[in-house]
Amino acid sequence: MIAYARRTWIVLWKDLLVERRSKESLNALLFFALLLLFLFQFALGPDRERLHAALPGLLWLGFVLAGLLGLGRSFVAERDNDCWDGLRLTPGDKSAIYLGKLAANLVVMGAVEAVILVLFGLFYNMDLVSVAGPLGVVLALGTLGLATVGTLFAALTAGVRARELLFPVLLLPVQVPVLLATVSATQIVLAGQPLVDAAAWLRLLAGADLVYLVIGILTFEFVLDT
Amino acid sequence: MSARATRILGGLALLALAVGLAAGFGYAPREAVQGNVQRIMYIHVPAVLTAYLAFGLVLVGSIGALATGRAGWDRLAGAAAELGVLFTGVTIVSGSIWGKPTWGTWWTWDARLTSTAVLFLVYVGYLLLRAMVDEPERRARIAAVVGIVGAANIPIVHFSVKWWRALHQPSTILGPEPSPIAAPIAAALFVNWVAFTLLFLYLLLRRVELARLEDAWVPETRR
Amino acid sequence: MMPDHWGYVLAAYGLSAAALLGYWRHLARRRRALDARLRSPRAAAPGKAAIPKKAAIR
Repeated sequence: MIAYARRTWIVLWKDLLVERRSKESLNALLFFALLLLFLFQFALGPDRERLHAALPGLLWLGFVLAGLLGLGRSFVAERDNDCWDGLRLTPGDKSAIYLGKLAANLVVMGAVEAVILVLFGLFYNMDLVSVAGPLGVVLALGTLGLATVGTLFAALTAGVRARELLFPVLLLPVQVPVLLATVSATQIVLAGQPLVDAAAWLRLLAGADLVYLVIGILTFEFVLDT
Repeated sequence: MSARATRILGGLALLALAVGLAAGFGYAPREAVQGNVQRIMYIHVPAVLTAYLAFGLVLVGSIGALATGRAGWDRLAGAAAELGVLFTGVTIVSGSIWGKPTWGTWWTWDARLTSTAVLFLVYVGYLLLRAMVDEPERRARIAAVVGIVGAANIPIVHFSVKWWRALHQPSTILGPEPSPIAAPIAAALFVNWVAFTLLFLYLLLRRVELARLEDAWVPETRR
Repeated sequence: MMPDHWGYVLAAYGLSAAALLGYWRHLARRRRALDARLRSPRAAAPGKAAIPKKAAIR
């Protein structure tokens, strides 16, 4: 058990260290978030009301798009640098690698989402501070749903032809329920309603997250064998 | 299954389809509210039920492939997925054509059509993935994981779409299913469902057989 | 009371039949192609002849 946790931590620490030193992914992702902000504004036009009505959806579109870019790269480093066999030959339960990668992805996505939120608050004049707690809960559950499947599929597609196309093609349909739930819950929270009004959606998210996590843990070793 | 047995199954399927057609147009009455357009239901409902059967088999094949490592399970998963996509397509198109005169629109984001569309997208992606991996063993494992995620997601999609619909639009008066189903209509539905299932099984057997033969020969003919 | 829309009914049944028939024919065609490959002279001696060994490294 301790060894398992340690292995998970090592993967997490390695990924975060690589990221901190190279800063390639995080900087690009943050800049991408800024670009999205402008894109949404230009696409929806100057009508304030229309933009505000669409904000929960736009927020999650931003997270998903950033997630596609960030998550898709989870295993590229290992694959391109011939480290894949290194992963395969790790002793013990391979799912520790999955959890480590998942944790690293959650950290990165969390950082990107925080920045997107701040930018949204600034540019679209949203008051997010008063709803920060409930919003945080929704964000946590939604991001978990995105990252659990995203990390698994990233490993899956790492060695497959046309992986940059296949990854979004596979991930997006599976994310539909997560998207529906998070946008609905976000809408409720941003309207100032108490978190308990979104309870059904949050329960769905939590259940889905659990299902995805369990599948990821159980099947990761098979994915490594490819 | 022997070639002869498969052919017999095919003949049975054809017969059942003919009976289903007769039941749908001859035995079943003209529906009171929607008129004869409602007869499209005899395609739409059996098709979606068959699609669910197909995707259930994809799950079975995927789990079997991972658990045993034997190629036969993967062939089942791949074949079932192809048929599932086919029957889902039939479901969506028939549902859309039914919707145009009934609701006045080709597409509506009602719970069932939306869920079915998402299902379609998931498994088309699954087929695309299979097409991108050439080595049978690799393909089997990669596809199996996606197959399991896709299948596990089906109930999650169902509930999320249902609640989403409940939020955003009150239920329409003219739903696809008339509330109390008259006995002749139910009977015609049942016959057509049996026919579709037989057709599905026949096509499945042929597709699996094809895959088995291709897997045996492709490595050599590829040189 | 709704008017009958036989055109739509025909379209639905017709397209569905076309799709299912088309798939069946697609399977038959692939099967025939496979049978043709099996019957070709190269397939007559599988194993050694079908998989030439790479003798030298260029």
